[in-house]
Amino acid sequence: MFLEQSDLQAIWLTLRLASMVTGILLLLGTPIAWWLARSRSWFKGPIGAVVALPLVLPPSVLGFYMLLAMGPNGPVGWLTKAVGLGNLPFTFWGLVLGSVFYSFPFMVQPLQNAFEAVGDRPLEVAATLGASRLDAFFSIVLPLSRRGFFTASILTFAHTVGEFGVVLMIGGNIPGATRVASVQIYDHVEALEYASAHRMAAVMLVFSFLVLLALYAWRSDTQKRG
Amino acid sequence: MNLVLNVQKSFPGFRLAADVSLTGDKIGIFGASGSGKSTLVSMLAGFQKPDAGEIILDGETLFSGSGKINVPPEKRRIAMVFQQHSLFPHLTVRNNLLYGYHRCRAEYRAIHLDMLVAVLQLEELLERDIRTLSGGQQQRIALGRAILGNPRLLLMDEPLSALDDTLRFQIIPYLKSVSDQFGIPYLFISHSLVEMRLMTDTVLAFAHGEMVGKSSSEQLARTRMGESAVGYINLLELDGMTERNGMCAYTWQGVELLLSGSNQNTVGGLFELSSKDIILFKRHPEAISARNLLECTVASLFGSSSKIGVELRCGTGRLVAEIVPEAARELGIKQGAIVYAAFKASAFRRLAITAG
Repeated sequence: MFLEQSDLQAIWLTLRLASMVTGILLLLGTPIAWWLARSRSWFKGPIGAVVALPLVLPPSVLGFYMLLAMGPNGPVGWLTKAVGLGNLPFTFWGLVLGSVFYSFPFMVQPLQNAFEAVGDRPLEVAATLGASRLDAFFSIVLPLSRRGFFTASILTFAHTVGEFGVVLMIGGNIPGATRVASVQIYDHVEALEYASAHRMAAVMLVFSFLVLLALYAWRSDTQKRG
Repeated sequence: MNLVLNVQKSFPGFRLAADVSLTGDKIGIFGASGSGKSTLVSMLAGFQKPDAGEIILDGETLFSGSGKINVPPEKRRIAMVFQQHSLFPHLTVRNNLLYGYHRCRAEYRAIHLDMLVAVLQLEELLERDIRTLSGGQQQRIALGRAILGNPRLLLMDEPLSALDDTLRFQIIPYLKSVSDQFGIPYLFISHSLVEMRLMTDTVLAFAHGEMVGKSSSEQLARTRMGESAVGYINLLELDGMTERNGMCAYTWQGVELLLSGSNQNTVGGLFELSSKDIILFKRHPEAISARNLLECTVASLFGSSSKIGVELRCGTGRLVAEIVPEAARELGIKQGAIVYAAFKASAFRRLAITAG
């Protein structure tokens, strides 16, 4: 077989993780991106900076602080224990939480740009035609921002698939639970299994290329159609 | 429509104040850019909150600073047509038109799509992608969309300024049909006196954030004549053209007018003639190159110390000529006097085609 059983397991885990993170971030990121696009509040700057932090922070820094926060003495750890979820570090759900934070800007920033591009006028028109803000959001803003949603989802998914540092810090390397594709490649290299590492790396390379190709093809097509 | 508009709004370097009570169906708000008219409309629509004051439409308080009332835009039943059409590009013409209708309470649904489509002549466009339509077609659809929800007031914020002259005057009859056919009062905002005269009865004039006058649109045009580089614009609806020596002859209000050949290709339309292009004679001139010479009676005089507007009764029609006070003295122009008005056949400019 081209890939080993453990490789397939890592790929499956990676896809599950990326899908969940993308889904969660679509729900969490949309209102935050909307607020950032529309708000004139003083808090917009600081909150925008916090959202963008993962873009500039080394993954190990983010992973380290998240590990502390999710640990038994950290605020997140205290909360998860209090609600009966136990400790999150070195679990799949810990990975999900870490990845949500790490991929936040990849969802929020394209959405924010898309919402800003819609502008005030369509919302004003919709309001004068009797549409509530929520109605206008779903009937006007969502369709007009679909390109931004597609871009944000693809980028978030692809970025989560490619995570390494944060995943290793928070999840460690537990087969079937936290060993994602990037960590599996690292494992192969550590064990001098270069052929296996090559195959996994090739799969990741082709996957990433195809995702980006699909994204660019779609964007080009929608631009032609206006 | 009864509208009480008593609002104040301040921005850095700009203060808007209006305190007026309006009754009528075709009301204009006139002013240059930066005069505050768009801010006023924005507050009326509910997009901007006044700093203080009140807005009462047909007895319902839409805003009251002291009463802490601010009805949101979607509940005001005030529709709006913007300078840029702002159609929704992801919807077809039909779905753009129906957007407001579907959100309108059943008891207000008095205007139906078929009626509207017939009045605005949109039959051929209903299933079209709005991106394939011309500017004029898009503006007609924006108008239709605004009125299909049967608003109690329609705001038109410079709806013609993004269109070229030909389209502008083609759209005006459609805009007017809103009030005439569907009984919807409107507030028409523009910096064009000609548009004001064609669209409105009463006009509020704004300058530097303050209301500086309330008058009929005709009165406003006369008041502004001296300040305008183009003078007073006479608007003439001409039809029944016959060709005469390479020129177009029209019968207008019982007198014959000759227009130069460039105005051919149509049998009628709306034409403008500037007051500056009319020359007055005390007696019938012996010979003159201008192809139009009308015997007229001076109906009234108006204007300032530097410019005098002479309202002339020509046949059953009225024209306004503009002269300086010295010329008025020399000609002995006074109310009831007989004068001769001359203007070139090429002085007319066609604004719109009304028949063809």
